[in-house]
Amino acid sequence: MEKKLLHFCLNGEEMEVQVDPSASLMDVIRDDLEMTGTKAGCNTGDCGACTVILDGEAVRSCIMPALHVMDRNVETIEGIGSPDNLHPVQEEFVESSAFQCGYCTPGMIMSAKALLDKNPEPTGEDVREAIAGNLCRCTGYKKIEEAFLSAAKKVNSKSS
Amino acid sequence: MKEFTVVGKSIPRRDALDKVLGTATYTTDVKLPGMLYAKVLRSPHAHAKVIKIDTSKAKALPGVKAVLCHLDIPKNLFCSSAAAYVTTPPVKGVVDQYIFESTARFIGDEIAAVAATSLAIAEKALALIEVEYEVLPAVFDPFEAMKPESPTLHTEPEKKEGFPEYPENNIVGNKIPPVIGMGDLEVGFKEADYIFENTYIVDAVKQAQLETHGAVADINSEGKLTIYSPSQSLHPTKRIVAEALGLPLSQVRVLNPPYSGGGFGGRIGCSAKSEVITAALAQKARRPVKLILSRQEDFIASDTRHETFATLKTGVKKDGTLTARFIKVIMNGGAYASWSQDAPGVLASTAMPVYRCPNSMFEGWTVYTNRTSAGAMRGFGNPQGMFCVESQMDEIAHALNMDPLEFRLKNISRPGDAVPVPFPLVTTGLRDCITQGAEKIGWSRRVEPDRQKSTKLRGMGMGVGSHVSCSHPFHVDYSTCQLILQQDGSILYSTGVPDIGTGTSTTLPQFVAEVLGVDISMVKIVFGDTQSTPFEVGSHASRTCYAAGKAAIAGAEKIKKEILEYAADYLKLPEDDLDIAKGMVYSLSNDNVKVSLGEIALQAHLKTKQFSCIGTVPPTNALPWEAHFAEVEVDTETGQVEIIQLVAAHDVGKAINPAIVEGQIEGALSMGIGFALTEQYQIDENGRQLYDTYHKYMMPTVMDMPPMETIIVEEHEPSGPFGVRGVGEAGLVPTAPAITNAIFNATGVRVNQIPVTPDRLLTALKNQKGISTVREDEEIYAE
Repeated sequence: MEKKLLHFCLNGEEMEVQVDPSASLMDVIRDDLEMTGTKAGCNTGDCGACTVILDGEAVRSCIMPALHVMDRNVETIEGIGSPDNLHPVQEEFVESSAFQCGYCTPGMIMSAKALLDKNPEPTGEDVREAIAGNLCRCTGYKKIEEAFLSAAKKVNSKSS
Repeated sequence: MKEFTVVGKSIPRRDALDKVLGTATYTTDVKLPGMLYAKVLRSPHAHAKVIKIDTSKAKALPGVKAVLCHLDIPKNLFCSSAAAYVTTPPVKGVVDQYIFESTARFIGDEIAAVAATSLAIAEKALALIEVEYEVLPAVFDPFEAMKPESPTLHTEPEKKEGFPEYPENNIVGNKIPPVIGMGDLEVGFKEADYIFENTYIVDAVKQAQLETHGAVADINSEGKLTIYSPSQSLHPTKRIVAEALGLPLSQVRVLNPPYSGGGFGGRIGCSAKSEVITAALAQKARRPVKLILSRQEDFIASDTRHETFATLKTGVKKDGTLTARFIKVIMNGGAYASWSQDAPGVLASTAMPVYRCPNSMFEGWTVYTNRTSAGAMRGFGNPQGMFCVESQMDEIAHALNMDPLEFRLKNISRPGDAVPVPFPLVTTGLRDCITQGAEKIGWSRRVEPDRQKSTKLRGMGMGVGSHVSCSHPFHVDYSTCQLILQQDGSILYSTGVPDIGTGTSTTLPQFVAEVLGVDISMVKIVFGDTQSTPFEVGSHASRTCYAAGKAAIAGAEKIKKEILEYAADYLKLPEDDLDIAKGMVYSLSNDNVKVSLGEIALQAHLKTKQFSCIGTVPPTNALPWEAHFAEVEVDTETGQVEIIQLVAAHDVGKAINPAIVEGQIEGALSMGIGFALTEQYQIDENGRQLYDTYHKYMMPTVMDMPPMETIIVEEHEPSGPFGVRGVGEAGLVPTAPAITNAIFNATGVRVNQIPVTPDRLLTALKNQKGISTVREDEEIYAE
């Protein structure tokens, strides 16, 4: 199949890449752009490991056709924080060991960030709903929820 | 008593930054120059002979670099899990797999594999492989499979060599014949005032870890293989690949890249044969080959937990004292042996020490059937065993009109009790686990609800259990590490243990840092790679903290002694006047005398010496203890069970990193909830798996999680490093019976099969008596 030119904004940077029209956004990110922070867990949109943020909404990149992000804004885990400047969610994860194998972690963080960007004062219920589509087999979710709520408090105290 | 500097502290994990920033590399992320992509052709039939297979069209497709089937591979028998390679003589490990065979034994069985320049081409090539199958009768039920008229799955004489011929068909390896655990059963049952006999079924479930199975095999011009793998047992995986391909061990290197997306027993050895298949394809193509299983392949073609059928016959006195117990177990092994010879024995060994029952016996075995192989999954028979034991204990307590908690306290094993395992019960914190857990959940509130008043009924239940702290002496299990002092004062600490998420790469350095007296940042761990580490069986049997921790302490003590000996001479002070703290060798009597380890290392280096040592100790084992409490609300109209709260109290001996220990327990609780209520492996009449995607397989999401409390009890275990006992699997042992016993307390009705799905519960409620099992053939359970 003939490739098509996809241009979109990725982590604040203008990107142009030739893609297979049938490729998913996850395939383009992981294979064409070799950014493997976004994880592949099921390829059917069920586990959330592939979660990225598209125009402010958390989406499953494995079932999002790549061409659907033409001229739109995509954020992946690579665009969140850096070793010297972690996002509050990342800080909380590190401090409270809210991860184990880490495979669901990028997806969890993207879901949390999407929530916090829209709703800086989420309730426990808001947090649970935001990550309801992110499967984790290692942690039992408890430390993840607690890390997100602590991060929200941090974000609030930073901005206030 | 000296206070710990780093042990007992929830220090941040060293893999934290990589994992939160997305820079952690897993096998699924590995990309090598010239790498090919593999796909596996899988049998659509549960049992079939491959009459003819023609791979020529596939081979001819442009982009295809290798195609392999049973005609192309070395005929070396192997076992795709570590089981056969850790079995201790005189028991023989079961080896019943070839890379590809001309017989398919389950839907999903590997028939052929392709390596091509893209995944799309590999998929196209699969479709071009022409296979003619002769469909054979299949058997899915172990009781059917034992009948002489049922199809025999493995007829090859080489697979049977060294194993007894049994009158029953399809037995995996050795049966465990009626083995007296302790005492005299006949005497015990005579002493009983009441005898309870119950049957139970535990459905198979799946690890369902987030990173699917797979591997990337690279090969150099000398034929040396480098295999990136999510394996939880790197050294055994290396052995399996070497055996399967007929290579010397030194020609194979297996490593995690360095992270693995979860294991839970599913990859103690190969990741569903991926390492072997990619290695064989890489040999053929002379290029690196990557095989990543789809989620559906992971479900259908990698080891499940064992479906378990059990009868428990227990004798008890009027006052609640246990007098006798006979446990008989038959497990459904699926198509290939994997850990099937071992699982029944582990069930027995982990269940029987829990209670002081002076007369006990166990009998059990596993049966081949034409479904997905069963292997190791967190708990390895213990969650199944304790579901049965704890359900029956609850039933007995109810019949005797005793508080189930008091009944447990009366009968749990005490220090010094004889136990039917080959290591002593020296200490137990189970009593504390029970009393503290009971207080936390509010056990004194427990009453039978008024069942006429409402369709939403609340109840409370409990379960207890044990496990092991490694697999010695049941299997080959020993630990060795290597320590080298580097010229900057850091310690290179090399261990064959992986980090599959359990935090071993953080916790094990804590042992070294504590003993040696250095900051944790000065312990540089090398792990998860067979090339640079001594043999380690890996991360299984809840062993890494206990067994590798002991080796770490031994090594750190040794190198510390060597350093102090040298420092004594260097500083011209007696050795017993010196110690190490914060990376400095200092004099106990003179505050001014301090020299850094880096300085010592450099001085020694200039005089042609480097400090290095091996740390190892003879293996031991120890029993961990746990008690779980559940409060549930049952909707008697829908059969849905909501968990109101869960409390898990664990005697871990010593929590080296409490946050990591809590995380392990909390994760196990979520698995326990699924095990009790929603997860199941089921097949249709043709053997096709029904719940073979994340969409259909009901594992808990965050929305299913109740409030949970973890209580860590630290009853020092003398054989453990700083008193440690295993914990990784213990968190999954009594969860299901705690929940199902709570359902009984709420509804008055007991379901002796898990998961207690809404339809099973509604059937039981409708009958207004428990359903024993869904089976009718009682004669199978006769002694």
